[in-house]
Amino acid sequence: MARKRERLDVIRDILKAVRENRKIKPTRLLYASNLSPQMFKEYINELTSKGFIKLDIDKKDKKMFCITPRGNEFLEEYKVIENFIENFGL
Amino acid sequence: MYSWIIENKELLKIFYGLIIALICFVIVLKTNKLFRLSLHKGIRYFRNAFFFYGIAFIIRYLFGAFFLDNPNYYFVINILFEYFLVMGGFFLLYSLLWKRFESSKTNYNSSLFNTKIFLFYFMSFIIVFLDYIWQTYYFMFSSQIIIFVLASVISYINYKKNGRQHKFLKLYFIAMILSLITWVLNFLVASFLDWNKGVLTNVYLINIVIFLLFLYGVIKVTGGK
Repeated sequence: MARKRERLDVIRDILKAVRENRKIKPTRLLYASNLSPQMFKEYINELTSKGFIKLDIDKKDKKMFCITPRGNEFLEEYKVIENFIENFGL
Repeated sequence: MYSWIIENKELLKIFYGLIIALICFVIVLKTNKLFRLSLHKGIRYFRNAFFFYGIAFIIRYLFGAFFLDNPNYYFVINILFEYFLVMGGFFLLYSLLWKRFESSKTNYNSSLFNTKIFLFYFMSFIIVFLDYIWQTYYFMFSSQIIIFVLASVISYINYKKNGRQHKFLKLYFIAMILSLITWVLNFLVASFLDWNKGVLTNVYLINIVIFLLFLYGVIKVTGGK
């Protein structure tokens, strides 16, 4: 049985999906994140409040998520953070 | 050698405080970077533990050296040292336990204060206050022995569970056992051995080993960046 995704894994998956697409619609990101709408909303609120992603509105008035430099930095350091948490039992 | 240590003990104490304060400074700096990115609470409490340990050692061994001849100041220094040392212990234990008490999603405005950890500040105050009233260190020793018994058990469980994949868990467990030993030795030295300098020197040496173990783990995992 696959292990349950930890919170940091979910954040990584969402950020990866946003980065790979450069700009992504909220509905597409919801599918890519594999979360329930309620959980998705919670994570998105968290990620925007932490400044990892931002919501842009394009010329056609469509909402699109894109990754911020801070979000990129998190993805680069994700392995280190994960290793640290597991090695120190945090 | 032993007589040389005794002759230069005040200088060596400053050196000892400086080493541990520097180790804490590096650990806080490195873990702070990880915390700022992840806002992970375990990292936050771990970082806070070494922040308070660092402050405690700076106050006791660096500032304290200037007030050796002034009992009033030295007494205040000892109270502050005890308070920050106890706080460090609480944070270190809570970094292993926080998941049982709070959700990872709750956001706090401040890194050092929130309603949950306010309890630590209060308990530390009570411990220091009781020691002050009875003019002992026993409340600090007892609290720290309890904290490190719990931390040893938790770190042993973590090591048994994930020790094969995450090698530092073994060293973490060893560091907790060494910490427990130093607190028991402190208690014995204060209670039965009239602050025997030989045993105290060993406590200082073990303390340096413990902090170096943590520094090694932090640098190894963060890749020395």
